[in-house]
Amino acid sequence: MTAADPDPRVLPAGLRDRVLAASLRARAVGRPVPDAPEIPPAEAFSRAVSAFEAALSFLSDDEWGTPVLRGLDVQGLVGHLIGVEDDVQRALAADPEVAGASHVESTQSAATAQATRPPARTRADWRAAVDRTLDRVRSADSRAQVALHGLRLSVRTLLVVRAFELWTHENDIRQAVGWAPSVPDPSTLRLMTDLAARLLPLAGATLDDSVDVHLVLTGPGGGTWDVTVGGHPPATEAVAIVTDAVGFCRLAANRIAPADLDVSVTGDPGRAAAVLATAATLALD
Amino acid sequence: MDAVLAARLAAGDDYALAEVFDALAHSVYGSAVRVLGDNSAAQDVVQDVFVELWTHPDRYDPAAGTLRTYLTVLARHRAVDVIRSELRRVARQERSWRLTPAPPSAGAGDEMVAAETASLVRAAVKLLPASQRQVVELAYFKGLTCREVAHAAGIPEGTAKSRLRLAMAKLEELLDHQLLESS
Repeated sequence: MTAADPDPRVLPAGLRDRVLAASLRARAVGRPVPDAPEIPPAEAFSRAVSAFEAALSFLSDDEWGTPVLRGLDVQGLVGHLIGVEDDVQRALAADPEVAGASHVESTQSAATAQATRPPARTRADWRAAVDRTLDRVRSADSRAQVALHGLRLSVRTLLVVRAFELWTHENDIRQAVGWAPSVPDPSTLRLMTDLAARLLPLAGATLDDSVDVHLVLTGPGGGTWDVTVGGHPPATEAVAIVTDAVGFCRLAANRIAPADLDVSVTGDPGRAAAVLATAATLALD
Repeated sequence: MDAVLAARLAAGDDYALAEVFDALAHSVYGSAVRVLGDNSAAQDVVQDVFVELWTHPDRYDPAAGTLRTYLTVLARHRAVDVIRSELRRVARQERSWRLTPAPPSAGAGDEMVAAETASLVRAAVKLLPASQRQVVELAYFKGLTCREVAHAAGIPEGTAKSRLRLAMAKLEELLDHQLLESS
């Protein structure tokens, strides 16, 4: 190197800004690479239905009696889902009675009604109920708003919520009978993580202190979101939370505690803990 | 650690990109400067390397080595590509000047770079086998077409083309080797 050559130990001024700006022009923040093929929410729901049905098809008659959740065995849980499908169809038909109904109470009679029936009959009734929902969805405007179980949301969001619910209950059953957990395909998972991330601000609206959250969900179906959690303008630095996409969905379904999530935090650990606790209250099951 | 950074980059985490830049940009820049010895061109290489990492984070395999090694090797390859591209441009320009009765005048700096590069190319040509060296000299230094090269060398046109292809591949290899050794 001669005296006129640049010193490689000294980074030229402005290079950092120039490089970062060029990078972000080439690829927007938040989009995962490789990106999962985009699918419509109805397809995500349909895939979740197929996965749930496949799990049911492997259960023995005895396993249908395995206790799973809220005092329900597998058959009762499938009965609950028959009730949910009925309520969804009523919501799509703008029935005001289901708008404020409780997700659990309004489906309890459908759940308990399965107790004395053959499992195959319950399974067939659930599949028929799902098919009726899919028929209604095909003719619905995906942007139309529906009111169901205390929520008001678009048809497309409702379908992602339902995919989330079916995946969660499929894994409730898998855990109850001792099977390994399942992971949604990346396209479905991407819709689920996006839903959970975008709902975080709503779930945290009652927090005393707001916080800007840089949420990074790694693995297939992941991505990056910048959201403000809480009802007031943030007074402190942003908190960066990095965790696995599937783990975060289990948290948002309230199936694991924040302490059980493998997470890396930059910023105030207390605020990060509050955000993760908020995510668990989404209870997307 | 690098695996976590790779996963974050794949998730589109711009904070991770900034972290990698702050930790490794000096090494990347140094790698480019050692090959190019030119501040502006080295900065372009640094930009190319980080844009490549950000747009294709999945091309980095943490199991194959550290992120520092991946980026500095990438920078060196990109810097060598810059030199190769410059060599080709100068060779094309030189041939064009020989074929043009009144070549456009170049600035003193351009002429110096062109002369240095042409001298590098000539040195590499001398290392070629005699049969390949002959067709390269006829085509590139005497400006003959492929048919004229074949006629002058007393060989079929197909043989002239094939010797030229082999010679250019060998030339690139020799120049790369020379540049990598000097870096």
